[in-house]
Amino acid sequence: MAADAAAGEEAAAGGTPEAESPAAQATATTEAPAPVDERRQPWLEALQAELGEALVGHEIAGGDVWVRVDSSAWRRAVVACRDRLGCDYFCFLSGLDWKADVDLAAEKVWDPEAQPSAPAAGANGGYRTGVAGGDTRFQVFARLFSTSAKVGITLKADLDEEDPRVESIVSLYRGAEWHEREAWEMLGFTFDGHPGLRHIYLPGEFEGHPLRKDFPLLSRDVKPWPGLVDVEAMPGEPEGGGDAEGADAEGAGAEGGEG
Amino acid sequence: MPKPLTQLLNTARKYSLWIYQWGLACCGLELGAAIGSPRYDIMRLGVIPFPSGARQADLVVIAGTVTDKMSPPIRRLYEQMPDPKYVISMGSCSNCGGPYWDSYSVTKGVDQIIPVDVYVPGCPPRPEALLEGIVLLQQRIQQEDMASRWRGDPIVVGA
Repeated sequence: MAADAAAGEEAAAGGTPEAESPAAQATATTEAPAPVDERRQPWLEALQAELGEALVGHEIAGGDVWVRVDSSAWRRAVVACRDRLGCDYFCFLSGLDWKADVDLAAEKVWDPEAQPSAPAAGANGGYRTGVAGGDTRFQVFARLFSTSAKVGITLKADLDEEDPRVESIVSLYRGAEWHEREAWEMLGFTFDGHPGLRHIYLPGEFEGHPLRKDFPLLSRDVKPWPGLVDVEAMPGEPEGGGDAEGADAEGAGAEGGEG
Repeated sequence: MPKPLTQLLNTARKYSLWIYQWGLACCGLELGAAIGSPRYDIMRLGVIPFPSGARQADLVVIAGTVTDKMSPPIRRLYEQMPDPKYVISMGSCSNCGGPYWDSYSVTKGVDQIIPVDVYVPGCPPRPEALLEGIVLLQQRIQQEDMASRWRGDPIVVGA
């Protein structure tokens, strides 16, 4: 047990500098002003000129550019990227669910005390949003790339929570067809003009949208997660901090070591 | 059937297992290592890889994550195989769902679809583990009474 305690101290000592290093990096980045990205800033200005009011959010950071557009201008933004910016390669399309106040206590794996508290309702309805902001629970996003300029762009659009619906871009990028089918089945987005929205990864009779945050994992309701039964105490955790089974397993291990 | 003849038949059968590989995920690589590499050389156990189809196979190894969408093809595969046929479930996913136990799309064990003779645990199992599973299956085949199997009697192992 003394050896365990020593190992725990070592782990704690090793962990302390790692915990401090992100803060140090953060101060370093705030001191140095971010230089203007000369390759992506013209892209942003071209899109601003093309879309006008429909471009509702943008960000250039870390060698990448995000542009958030109104969902009615989704297809127009993709056309602008393809024709004006020369984005000849469609990387992928997917969706985001920013719902934060999911009742995870229903899933028996999670400790209710460790449940993240619901964010305070702010101007954006309480949804935590990512780069380039957002106002709604659902966002659709697509990644486009220009193979000649070697620059990529991520387009995002807020979608209505009750009826997440956006225009399809299959006629612009043929490769978007399967991506839109996946977003349709996983998140419940509807893509107007898609040639055939049907299941791609899930069985045809599947009900629900599994990548939505409020999709229940029914297996956990029927039966507790089997991994919880034989869980051992993590290194550095105080003895007896876990359940009785964990303590038993630890004691058995110590006896085996002595023998 | 006379007992010595059954023993002879079983010895012949257990050393000429045509194995049909059904690699669904990372376990399929370990299966490939067991089948295709000279280091493990599955043929020294009398297991013959790469039949031209499930209709020529005696044994199928379900290696990998079985999803609900993959279940009907696996069922069809099993029904295509001629009797007597054997199934080895390789890896945690195929045994019980594995790390994807609570997923919305993963079947919680291939034994929900088809009967399994030998379970090989591991994530993924090493090729040696699969070889041991094959040896266990061969012991089982050696103990079988073919006449009772054809009559549909329950299989008694180790009698």
